[in-house]
Amino acid sequence: MFGRKGNYPYAVARVRGKKRMLLKGEDYSKMMVMELPEISRFLGETNYQKEMAELGGRFEGVDLIEHATYRNMARNFRSVLDFTNGELHDMLAAYLTRWDHWNVKVILRGKSFGADMESIREDLVPAGNLSEEYLNSLCSMEMGDELFAELSRKLNAPLPPSAVEAYKQFGKLTSIEDYLDKLYYERLLDAIGTNTKPKRLFRAFIQREIDIINLETILMLKEEKAPPEVILNYFIEGGLQIDRKMATNLANAEDRKALAAELVKLDFYEEIKEALESEEKPLRNVMDALRLYQIRKTETLSYLYPLSVIPVFDYMFHKKLEVDNIRIIARGKVSGLDTDTLKRLLVI
Amino acid sequence: MDTGLIAIAAGLAVGLTGLASGWAEKDIGSAAVGAMIEDDSLFGKGLILTVLPETIVIFGLVLGIMLMGQM
Repeated sequence: MFGRKGNYPYAVARVRGKKRMLLKGEDYSKMMVMELPEISRFLGETNYQKEMAELGGRFEGVDLIEHATYRNMARNFRSVLDFTNGELHDMLAAYLTRWDHWNVKVILRGKSFGADMESIREDLVPAGNLSEEYLNSLCSMEMGDELFAELSRKLNAPLPPSAVEAYKQFGKLTSIEDYLDKLYYERLLDAIGTNTKPKRLFRAFIQREIDIINLETILMLKEEKAPPEVILNYFIEGGLQIDRKMATNLANAEDRKALAAELVKLDFYEEIKEALESEEKPLRNVMDALRLYQIRKTETLSYLYPLSVIPVFDYMFHKKLEVDNIRIIARGKVSGLDTDTLKRLLVI
Repeated sequence: MDTGLIAIAAGLAVGLTGLASGWAEKDIGSAAVGAMIEDDSLFGKGLILTVLPETIVIFGLVLGIMLMGQM
């Protein structure tokens, strides 16, 4: 699928420049002691200036920050896609379809909870192949067969009747969401060849991501005391280290000790060990540790393989992290959280 | 005969080093332009890094001149 080499030196230099412009730790510290209007003003003086100015007339407070940060992120990702070419562009385009799936999930979730169109649009990130106009047209559709048929047509994959039925009968979207996740990774892995080093790196990167998602799902469902067969339903094939056998062992683990005995086989066990053993909110700590591991690993790989797709992912991860952190601070301020709690919630 | 070979050698020294410089500058130049788009204060650094491989062709040129001196 992927032909021609791609403009790695140019693209990597640009994303490194973009990464340098992201907010630093001290910026978050400043924002944590600010009030919401001050945060908006502060963001208006950073890279978010354009979006804050554009949306300033339509929204205010936390809504303005949320809209502006997502719009800025979508624009940045699209601009990265625009200035790359060759196989680099193709790899990024394939990777960014995740935002199409994200947007579809946001729309379905919003519609099933009866949210209004405006609040659904708030969480959309049109950074994938589906345009903002198309997503808006999906938002205006009624939840039901018409929307499902349109999604099946656009994604070129019919939604499984059992998943649609599960929604109709119990109002549960989990099967459809799970199907979308699996479809994304299945198509992505199918599309990536192994004949060049950049493609092999990209493949390993995606497979590592699948491992992390699988582990998060298993831990989350175990926390909710889901039976092993239910946990395994959500297993995504194609990971680097966690295969179905290991997933079965993890799903069947009786206690934390048995879980740790299985997890010790993973090369990133040391990264999550401490969080796993912590008494207070171990799941949240493990999730944060996994996320940090993924970011740090990508950062290291981006220096080891400077002329590859990895530095671009490194930038994208950091950008997403920045947006998440800003949103956490903004939401936290509205909810009246103190600085210490906010600090704990941020991933820096 | 010798004069002809020396002239070919001088030509190769300049020509091949020129190609090598161009090959090296291609990636550095595009990376420098990329970096400058995001931060125009990098213009000076970018320019210096881009012309560094130029030394290769200068060596080739010096060698070429020295060879021509043997003719």
